[in-house]
Amino acid sequence: MASRKSGRQRKSLWSQTGPTLRLLFGAFAIAAIGLLGLTPKTLFGLSIAWPYAALWGAIGWGRVGLSIRPMVILIVFGLIQDISFNAPLGCFVIVNLIVYGLSAAIAETFDVMNEPLVAVVSPVLLFIAGFLVLWLLASSLEDHAVRATPLFAAFLTTGLIYALGHKVFDLGRAPGQSAGQGA
Amino acid sequence: MARLSRSGQKTGKRSAKRLILFVLIFGAAALVVSQSAPQIRRVFDPVRTTAGDRLGGGNDISLWARMSGQVARERRIRDLEAEVRELSRYKAAAISMAERLEAYENILNLVGEPPVRGVTARVTAESDGPFSQTLLANAGRSQGVEPGAIAVNEGGLVGRVIQLGEHSARVLLVTDFNSRVPVMGEVSGVRAILYGGRDGMGSLTDLPERSEFIEGERILTSAEGGAFPRGLVVGEALRSGDDWRVRFAMAERDGGYVQMVPPPVIEIPEPIEEIPAAGETGNPVQASAAQGVRQ
Repeated sequence: MASRKSGRQRKSLWSQTGPTLRLLFGAFAIAAIGLLGLTPKTLFGLSIAWPYAALWGAIGWGRVGLSIRPMVILIVFGLIQDISFNAPLGCFVIVNLIVYGLSAAIAETFDVMNEPLVAVVSPVLLFIAGFLVLWLLASSLEDHAVRATPLFAAFLTTGLIYALGHKVFDLGRAPGQSAGQGA
Repeated sequence: MARLSRSGQKTGKRSAKRLILFVLIFGAAALVVSQSAPQIRRVFDPVRTTAGDRLGGGNDISLWARMSGQVARERRIRDLEAEVRELSRYKAAAISMAERLEAYENILNLVGEPPVRGVTARVTAESDGPFSQTLLANAGRSQGVEPGAIAVNEGGLVGRVIQLGEHSARVLLVTDFNSRVPVMGEVSGVRAILYGGRDGMGSLTDLPERSEFIEGERILTSAEGGAFPRGLVVGEALRSGDDWRVRFAMAERDGGYVQMVPPPVIEIPEPIEEIPAAGETGNPVQASAAQGVRQ
């Protein structure tokens, strides 16, 4: 009984980590995966749909409400994406910030974010919104309806990887807030 | 009361952050819209080329190869790959020359195209997103790449340089929807304009009404418009319902390198002195007509 109690009290290193460190770790993960994505990606002759890693941050970081630091990081990532995808500067910034804002709005609307339905449906809706905004922006700026297949493939990989590693982008509480302080 | 004021502060902070988010989104939207003006887009080009240099400038042997003591093997592989690329260039040149020879036989006094020298570079980044399909190569202005240079790989035509940095070049792929390449069938000689389709294959437009391509024939650049040299292999003609499609040759032999050759230069003819008007020199047109009657 005592051993079970002590086991329950033992906290993981991640749960003890503050939001700033979590934010930096998440940003590092996004940057690393984004840089890897710049290299030619084929596996047995098939090209791999690389995830839009910044959307993980936009969704995960928005779950604790709006904050300036995540916004700045998302703008930086957006500008890097614009350059690497040869998009007009600002396109991916818009996508990242809209998804971040929507994520924060959903978190504010539903008090219980860990409720299974909300936890599953809200990221799916946010990814759909993100990719839809991206497709609309690309189509309107390129003067024709751009191919949806690579976007859909990227949407699937982004969503699947987020489902596995969403905890990396969970800040616990908004950066700059002390423990117990509400958003 | 204190609690009320604290909650009021929280609401104020929240709405301020919301306002900041809206301002940032609108700022980004304004930035996007402002770039529809070419003058403003040109302002951002140095930023893009500098970033491209940083992203695509590296040419060293990988750290892993150094750590695992495979530097010699890595160098040998690179030398052999360079040799293969050199030989494939000769193959492409032979195809091109054969096609040109036929044209020479048909048209006398045809002015030949000078042999081209190119810069071979490694593909360091590819973007297959919703925007233009491009790749980034690690050679730029300082390596002798020229603006508008033609990129080819072991398979054939890859695209055209649309952005040039000091150590990097961005190539718009022929597979992109916005790319337009004047092409012709190697056997049929039918001319058309090629652009990238949505399914990774090329589509053909501006086809002549009466003549048709031959299934499986090689599609070459026709050099019309002067942007591409004549005779570069683009792909293979395939029938798809009522339409003709092109299977790109570059996709089949993608070794991760591109050779960027200077674009063809067509000299602008110098203006000659105007022919004097008929009335100024004693009506020569009428005179010659009269002479003709006399003769």
